[in-house]
Amino acid sequence: MADDPDRRGFLKVATCAIGGGVGLVVAVPVVKLVLGPTGEQTVTTPTDPIDIGAADRLRVGAPWQKVDVVAPVVKDAWSTAHDVVLGGAWVRRQSESQLQALSAVCPHLGCAIGWNGQNFLCPCHDSKFTADGDPIAGSGPAKRGLDPLPIEIKDGRLRVTWVRYKLDTASREKA
Amino acid sequence: MTSAMWRLCGWSLVMLLVVEAATGAALAAFYSPSATGAWASVAYVQDQMPMGWLVRGLHFHAGSAIMIVAGVHLVQIAVAGTYKAPRSLVWWIGLLLMLLVLVFAISGYVLRWDQAGYWANRVELGIASGTPVLGGTIRKIAIGGNEYGNLTLTRFYALHVIVLPVLTVAGVIGHIVLARRHTPATWSVALRQAFVMAVVFAILLGYVASQHGTDLAVPADPSAAFDARPLWYFRWLFELRHLAGSAELFAALAAPALVGGFLVALPLVDRGTTQQQRMPWIAGVVGLFTLIGVLTIASFGADSGDADLAKRQAQSEKDASRVRALAVKYGVPATGPADIKLQIPMYRARSLYEQRCKGCHEADSKDRKGPIIGPGHGTREWFVGFLKAPSGDAYWGHTKLAKTDDAMKPVELGDADLGDLAELLYSQSGASDVVESKRARGKTIFDKACTDCHAIDEGVAGSSAPGLGGVGSRDWYTSFIGNPKSPIHMGPDRSQMPRFDKDLSLVDRDALAGYLVWLRTASQHDVDLLEPL
Repeated sequence: MADDPDRRGFLKVATCAIGGGVGLVVAVPVVKLVLGPTGEQTVTTPTDPIDIGAADRLRVGAPWQKVDVVAPVVKDAWSTAHDVVLGGAWVRRQSESQLQALSAVCPHLGCAIGWNGQNFLCPCHDSKFTADGDPIAGSGPAKRGLDPLPIEIKDGRLRVTWVRYKLDTASREKA
Repeated sequence: MTSAMWRLCGWSLVMLLVVEAATGAALAAFYSPSATGAWASVAYVQDQMPMGWLVRGLHFHAGSAIMIVAGVHLVQIAVAGTYKAPRSLVWWIGLLLMLLVLVFAISGYVLRWDQAGYWANRVELGIASGTPVLGGTIRKIAIGGNEYGNLTLTRFYALHVIVLPVLTVAGVIGHIVLARRHTPATWSVALRQAFVMAVVFAILLGYVASQHGTDLAVPADPSAAFDARPLWYFRWLFELRHLAGSAELFAALAAPALVGGFLVALPLVDRGTTQQQRMPWIAGVVGLFTLIGVLTIASFGADSGDADLAKRQAQSEKDASRVRALAVKYGVPATGPADIKLQIPMYRARSLYEQRCKGCHEADSKDRKGPIIGPGHGTREWFVGFLKAPSGDAYWGHTKLAKTDDAMKPVELGDADLGDLAELLYSQSGASDVVESKRARGKTIFDKACTDCHAIDEGVAGSSAPGLGGVGSRDWYTSFIGNPKSPIHMGPDRSQMPRFDKDLSLVDRDALAGYLVWLRTASQHDVDLLEPL
């Protein structure tokens, strides 16, 4: 009786079904949980303009100045943090009313951009950009110029809006 | 002969994995996987725990040693051709183990949450997100959402200390059990393996000691430029993408896929039975690893010839040792290492002073426009000096006011009377060591000699000069810094000093005022003893 092939086959299938069923019941919530944050805004980023200092500190004609874009409040998963550095921006003022801000996030793979006195320079893969933020052909892998950030003056304060763009594309799309 | 040769590596690899497990368990007992705690806990182990640097160094460099020994192991087997059936499963498990080691390296490097690990990871996942179709999802799954943060660390930590070790242990058991089935162990081989293992460990230990463990850069900062470089075993890819120009993303993704595919396919495509027939495959493997070696060396060569890079790296090492010293001295705030400097005494006030005040007020400033502010500012002696020569060099001498008729004239009184008057003014600061009798005499003198222009009652402006109620107190400084041109202070036309009530918050102005009050009783020696900013 123990050698009955039908019986053995049934036992095998039943055992595997029970084991597999338990496995599946565990696997579903585990995978769901681990993938949970994927579609979520787990780290909030303010989309409103962010104060970066008094307007008169940015003198007309002065060289590019690096500022930290600091979010007053960021919710990062379970914690709320204050004064969180989102990233850097390079700002200058060409005339009283004409302001310019460039994101210091390299459009290639997102490293923070430095300034060597003449050019913008990405320390990771050597992309160089002119003083206007345009890519210098042949210098590195960046496919587009530095990304502009909206900048304005309100009540005597400079305000920059933080935007992240898709990396490593020739066109500029919001991420 | 050859089969004994390749098996020399076995014990060394097991030993290195055991070293990783033991040091890893010890490090995990300290590690705090959060954006605010990660760097701090690593710095704590590195700089404050007994032999922490050694354990951390062993953990980091044993990974490199595994790559080297496993690489030698792999080339030896490929040259010997012992990856062929029935041993091909052993070979594939071995390749899988090497892949796991690379994922170990990537997931471990980001955990330190310093500039080096943070930016290396950002770039690596930037490359991964270039994968067609799935790229964006891969990145989101890896970092746990839309942006780097707490979940990035908890995920890589879980991967690094639970998922990968379990897979590795299973892989190692399978690899060894299957290999043993084909080639039984003998004691003579075991002894030689043990000897090689001891040599490998001695080299590792010596290297770790010579490097004082491994580096830890300044904490991750999404705004600060950093010369990020991948770990050395990824350097060949770094160089390859550099050479590939516009095809770099293709190179970065396709090259590892091609190399991996080639190694996986070897047992299937290599049908040669004699050394001669196998020559193309042997040459292929040796050539491939030579190329990887050459690219690696070229990448380091390019960096070592870059003087600007060397300068920046030296600076970032200096910054790292400074911030780590601060972490040892003050601890890292619970809000994270970005706030580490806030713990330096009067940090906020002193850095504001450096940026906003020093140019016009520091003794050695070339464009000084106001009175010197320094140790002893606002003491009795300071007031006596002022009363004797309001437009003296250290006082209002550099101001525009000094050149006008509005400027205050020297007070012509005897030294005793001046001393009493100074006591009155000094008393306004709220200092606890005021001599009451002198102050009272000073008040009488003030009422006779000064009230034509000044007032000294709280909140009352002078008729044509500053009100002096509370002069030198913290509140008075806060108010003055906020608006020196207020009628109660200098008035609209007598001061060049800008108002700071729009630019600086009340908290900042109060902090500056606190620093100025501290300066009154400080000596130059006290100032020199302050922690540098």
